[in-house]
Amino acid sequence: MTRGDIDRRSSVRRTTIILVAVAAAFYFGFILIGVLRA
Amino acid sequence: MVTAAAELEKDHDHHGPAKGIGRWLFTTNHKDIGTLYLLFSLVMFFVGGAMALVIRSELMTPGLQFVHPEFFNQMTTMHALIMVFGAVMPAFVGLANWMIPLMIGAPDMALPRMNNWSFWILPVAFSILLSTLFMPGGAPASGWTMYPPLVLQTGDAFPFLIFSVHLMGLSSIMGAINIIVTILNMRAPDMWLLKMPMFVWTWLITAYLLIAVMPVLAGAVTMLLTDQFFGTSFFLAAGGGDPVMFQHIFWFFGHPEVYIMILPAFGVVSEIIPTFSRKPLFGHDSMVYAASCIAFLSFIVWAHHMFTVGMPLSGQLFFMFATMLIAVPTGVKIFNWVATMWRGAMTFETPMLFSLAFVFLFTIGGFSGLMLAVAPADIQYHDSYFVVAHFHYVLVPGSIFALMAAAYFWLPKWTGHMYSESAGRLHFWTSAIFVNLTFFPMHFLGLAGMPRRIPDYPTQFADFNWMASVGALGFGLSQLIFVYVLLTAKKGARATDRVWEAPRGLEWTVPSPAPYHTFTTPPKARIEEESFK
Repeated sequence: MTRGDIDRRSSVRRTTIILVAVAAAFYFGFILIGVLRA
Repeated sequence: MVTAAAELEKDHDHHGPAKGIGRWLFTTNHKDIGTLYLLFSLVMFFVGGAMALVIRSELMTPGLQFVHPEFFNQMTTMHALIMVFGAVMPAFVGLANWMIPLMIGAPDMALPRMNNWSFWILPVAFSILLSTLFMPGGAPASGWTMYPPLVLQTGDAFPFLIFSVHLMGLSSIMGAINIIVTILNMRAPDMWLLKMPMFVWTWLITAYLLIAVMPVLAGAVTMLLTDQFFGTSFFLAAGGGDPVMFQHIFWFFGHPEVYIMILPAFGVVSEIIPTFSRKPLFGHDSMVYAASCIAFLSFIVWAHHMFTVGMPLSGQLFFMFATMLIAVPTGVKIFNWVATMWRGAMTFETPMLFSLAFVFLFTIGGFSGLMLAVAPADIQYHDSYFVVAHFHYVLVPGSIFALMAAAYFWLPKWTGHMYSESAGRLHFWTSAIFVNLTFFPMHFLGLAGMPRRIPDYPTQFADFNWMASVGALGFGLSQLIFVYVLLTAKKGARATDRVWEAPRGLEWTVPSPAPYHTFTTPPKARIEEESFK
């Protein structure tokens, strides 16, 4: 089996998008906590 | 179509690295990027170490000797920021870059171009941070915790501090995303999750921690920035804000950060101890669950860093007991390492020596951590040298020793040659002696009441401070032996593919030095494991 046989691009893209969304949620979420508390 | 792709693949596999500086600037190869991370972290280790020596020189005897108190504060702040974000974290990311694809049988990281970005952001971030030393008002001096309102008194350096912290966070998040995506998507067909080596497992868990907490630090410093320049009052009491909220947010990041720096160290030690005990790791799966448990608990203990700000008794009790609970999964790990060695045919090459010292000395740091977890006692220990002793035991003979162990363990795989074992052992013994001479007396200083972050102290603390300073100088000089080992790393005997007598894992099935491209054809993980029986 060669690397050419396996196309992982869609699962790589999906995992990346999910993780970026999680990171963004933590960033904006904690700023939102600051806004609500201030 | 598949044939064409395979042909292209074949051509691709045969080309070597690019020539000149372009190889390093534009590389997407995980081994090159791993090397860049490791070299960068070594440079930062010496820069941060030089700052530590400024601190210890000033504290060698009572009175003000060498530096202005304000510069002393800049040194403590910069030393911490550089060691945490510039030395320990990038070093582990470097190891991850080098070893994770080799360990899981992947041809490279899943997102190689982002990998290049993740690294090259770092030198920019630290150039900005170090440039603040030459700015009016000097470098940041409010401690690595950047508590407001003190941090808002930083001079021109303030926005540069915030920007550099943002860049460091961005680099870490990108690196963490890459590691998770690689591990979840690029494993060899037969390598299911619980079969992964412990180093890969601990890095997977660490990467999740990074994605959860680095954005929180970024959010906190963004709010500091808007408080300073855009008229908000997130943390300014005069405007209705709450400075204690910063401490909560900072430590929600800061405590998992401690585990970000130690979990990959656990992974390294879990690879080395079985190799030199000639036994499989005892309780592999329980190690995975213990690391996951530690990671979960790290999110619910943050306020033990701030018992003295005042909180309800129920809060103190919750954070105290939750913190103590971490001793359970950590104890599982220590037990498993000892059980792995039990009745093993042990030998004591340099990586094993550093790993054994790690197990013993990290445990000392763990025990002093338990003492600090006791809320009423912490009110006494807080902001004393006891805390400095505690976290340095966790980070220096903990994280740094594990990094040294990893470097010696995998160096022959990287260079294709055996390093000088006698120089390695000299490096270990001098480091082990001096690290204890440096940090053990700090326990006594703290218990006697010496506060942290002061450039001068009463004469009653003179003897232990002198010992600590001599130890720090010795530890710093000892690290030059490591530089010697690296400079002569390619002069030793040729390393075999397996390097050691009983290593386990796919990384030992590729030639030494590891070729520029590896595992373009996915290996059969199960078959490789059988071959080591």
